Amino acid sequence: MEKKIKCIKCGQIITISGNPGETITVTCPSCHTSGKFTFEKTKSSTLEETIVKINNISKKYKDILALNNVSFDIKKGEIFGYIGPNGAGKTTTIKILVGLINKTSGHVFINNYEMPEQKSQAHKFIGYLPQKVAFQQWRTLNHALTTFGKLSGMEKNSIQPRINELLEIMELTKFKNKKINQLSGGTIQKVGIIQAILHNPSLIILDEPLEGLDPESRYQVKQIFKDLSKKGTTVFFSSHILSDVEDVATKICILDWGRVIKIGTLDELKTEFVKEKQIEIILSKKSNKFKEISKLPGVQNILEKSYEKFLINIDKTDNYDEVIHNIIQTLLKNECHIRSITPIIPTLDEVYQYYLRKGDKKQ
Amino acid sequence: MSFSLIFKDELMGFYKSKAMIFLWIGLPLLAILVHVSSQSADMSLSILVSLVVSSIGGLLASVMLTVNIINEKDTKVYDLFLIRPLKRWHILVSKFLAVYICVSIACIISILIGLLVDYTESQIAFDIIVQNIYEPFIMTLSIIAISSAVGVLIGVVAPSILVGVLLVIFGGNYVSSIPSIIPFVFNIQNPFTIVLILGIIITTVLMALSILLFNKKEF
Repeated sequence: MEKKIKCIKCGQIITISGNPGETITVTCPSCHTSGKFTFEKTKSSTLEETIVKINNISKKYKDILALNNVSFDIKKGEIFGYIGPNGAGKTTTIKILVGLINKTSGHVFINNYEMPEQKSQAHKFIGYLPQKVAFQQWRTLNHALTTFGKLSGMEKNSIQPRINELLEIMELTKFKNKKINQLSGGTIQKVGIIQAILHNPSLIILDEPLEGLDPESRYQVKQIFKDLSKKGTTVFFSSHILSDVEDVATKICILDWGRVIKIGTLDELKTEFVKEKQIEIILSKKSNKFKEISKLPGVQNILEKSYEKFLINIDKTDNYDEVIHNIIQTLLKNECHIRSITPIIPTLDEVYQYYLRKGDKKQ
Repeated sequence: MSFSLIFKDELMGFYKSKAMIFLWIGLPLLAILVHVSSQSADMSLSILVSLVVSSIGGLLASVMLTVNIINEKDTKVYDLFLIRPLKRWHILVSKFLAVYICVSIACIISILIGLLVDYTESQIAFDIIVQNIYEPFIMTLSIIAISSAVGVLIGVVAPSILVGVLLVIFGGNYVSSIPSIIPFVFNIQNPFTIVLILGIIITTVLMALSILLFNKKEF
């Protein structure tokens, strides 16, 4: 890294370079005053930013290999969506991550603390929602949350205001003094989410958090994830509802048969899937010359879906914007009236199916 | 801090439970009924109450603990506790102590009622009655402690509530009666001191075993 510093004696600006954390001796070129300078350990250094590091973990249940050399890193502030079919190993990974079960081999680090050896230190940073959340039935909602707040090391005075704040956000204030056994499944799931974020952990691990929630609640929870991520909290969650993962996840990992099939941002996942870009054009007036556009550079082919609606495949190596511009110009020139032009973007569902099929073939 | 918090919570959970209401009110009532119906002149009510409380109370304590632990294990209640900076043994020991204290209080209430009835019915001096009840009282507390520890152990190892309850009914009672049999089988002098010592040792061993197994358990 490069930095400009001012000489303390003559005020001369000196440009220096070095690595984060490195101490160098600097001599002013004009007054020859010497001094030492230490470069800051920036937050961008990979080791500091990595909140979760999973390195080749495997888990065997008798003869069944539930996880097979799974490796990935999760960076600070990421919303990490963990998807895969039933029995892929999602819950097993999560339980290893939080220290509820032991791995057969490999290494897991949370905030540089190795799990499960240093789990008492690592647990201070974690908020967790299990797949099936349950509370002791005799507790009231408020009592359960107060206990978890205290157990997580929260200041006594800050627990109740924080509970009230989260109950307000989740619209559960009216249930505050109700016993757990009087609450519905969806409400208990929301209480589960509250207990996971109550103590402002830097890492939240949630196993299917949106399961059993109505659309409004799912929206609320997704908003909470986004807000937490903005504040630097890392969110790791598994889900079967791919549209929800697509909405919030900044990074996605597809798991199948205990193996990581693909990992990356949604755009990265789509890059391999999308062989060519596709647009849908609907015309309000079509002329016979509309096929002129097939001669344009970058246009691979045209698929007619109906008389006025058709799909155009565009070579993804070509300049996409330029090709679209040319298509519009050509259509207008040929007396076609355009009602709409829509780029066809593959959904996560399509991308997911593609990688699962690809993974099956590899097996 | 976490242990005292968990312990207070468990104590609150158990003393409010229906089983505890039965113990605190039902057991003394049952003992009085037995006393009235048998009209036994050979045995004082306080001793009879001690016997009733130690057998029924001990069994209830172990069943309650077994059912509670298996139920909470099955419904994954512990997941939320175990991912917090909390020692696993805190959960088991707090449950054991909560039930043991609740059942012991029920036992004391019952025996005090028995003492009161004995004192009003007979002409025997109160301190003599107390002296007579002291030894059965020690035995009762030992049996309840062992029963509770058996309940915890079975709760940790049993795969289902049904298996757990069957193990408690058919196995737990035998284990809890060990300290009350050994001194008399071997004709040991001062048997109630031995009962007390054996009670403490067996309870400690059972609890240590439960904690060991619970620590190794995957949830």
